[in-house]
Amino acid sequence: MDNPVWMVLRGLSRGLHLAGYFSAFGAALFGAVIMPVPGLRRLAWGGFAVAVLGGAAWFWLQTADFASARSPSAVLAALPLVAEYTRFGWLTLARLALLLLAVLCAQGRRWRLAAALAGLGVLGESWLGHGAAMTGMEGWFLFACSLAHIGAAAAWLGTLPALALGLCSGVSPMVLAQRYSRLGMLCVAAILVTAFLQYLLLIGRVSAFFNTGYGEAALLKLVLFAALLTLAARNRWRLTPALPASRAALLRAILWETALGVLVLLAAGVLMQLSPPVMAAMAGMAS
Amino acid sequence: MRLSIPAVAAMLMLAATPSAFAHAYLTKSSPAAGAVVGASTSSMLLIFTEAVQPKFCTVTVTDSAGIPADTGAPQAVPGHGNELSVPVHFSRAGKYTVKWHALSVDTHKTHGTFSFSVNQ
Repeated sequence: MDNPVWMVLRGLSRGLHLAGYFSAFGAALFGAVIMPVPGLRRLAWGGFAVAVLGGAAWFWLQTADFASARSPSAVLAALPLVAEYTRFGWLTLARLALLLLAVLCAQGRRWRLAAALAGLGVLGESWLGHGAAMTGMEGWFLFACSLAHIGAAAAWLGTLPALALGLCSGVSPMVLAQRYSRLGMLCVAAILVTAFLQYLLLIGRVSAFFNTGYGEAALLKLVLFAALLTLAARNRWRLTPALPASRAALLRAILWETALGVLVLLAAGVLMQLSPPVMAAMAGMAS
Repeated sequence: MRLSIPAVAAMLMLAATPSAFAHAYLTKSSPAAGAVVGASTSSMLLIFTEAVQPKFCTVTVTDSAGIPADTGAPQAVPGHGNELSVPVHFSRAGKYTVKWHALSVDTHKTHGTFSFSVNQ
């Protein structure tokens, strides 16, 4: 379970869990701050299903890693221990329970409450990050960066499927796109600032992008993010002003953005399994 | 160029802080690496850079012949999530090697070794 293939699988399942979680949260947020469009409740349930599927795979693989288990029966035996005695275990289960509550609220069209509950679960993911495990002021700073980063990413990427749904409905595409643009630009700004701060704390030097596993995964995420930004800029400054004639092109672009967003989250999942270069350099010194 | 107060505060904080840790590495131990301690020593303390999950941490202590010393399960130290206390009993003098495996709360596993000596 310590080999790179299992590590990548853990990362991919974590990324899939995040993609589903973001999508369910995004559906609720869209209903709360943009407008409730037809199909949002189904989207929320779909996101929940993906979050559970990815979460179950992640839980299984992570338990196998924690317990160094080599057989399914050994993993099964370790599952209750992980659920009870590790932050990963109880937090993952609590976050899924929170998402279920949120989706039930969305089912009753209580969009704000649904968004608030799912939003708490999104932010809770930061408590499994590096900042929350570190001690001192630096840990708090990194934790705050992670909260803002993951919150902004969930609000931006998570609402993309809902936006696509809205464009397929009878709602004015101009109204939808204009409301969404404000949210999107705010989120992108927050992602850029917090990504830079995390680069300073966890990577520290440009060369690490090319000669460390963490750096390479971060670079891949950065390239995918740049592609996302390019699409988003085209949507904002070329396709939105040309609405309603550009409706079909805008819908296609948003579907591409959604697909790229899933890839970004899969890369993020793998990234979170790796040791940041600044730490790897210190490992020999500290142990 | 105008800088806001939060931006200046963030830059100062980054400039003032040392490089970050994000896996549980051992920073300090008692007995320390290379120390000489008495046979009456009854516990070890391991201090890590991050909070750890004691149920999934292991610590083994062996003498120079590879014979394990009597050790108990690693225990959490209340109020100090990044520390582990390990009950130990040494039956003879000599050099001992400690092998530790730690699981940090951010799901990463680390391991390492260090040695110390026990006199009569």
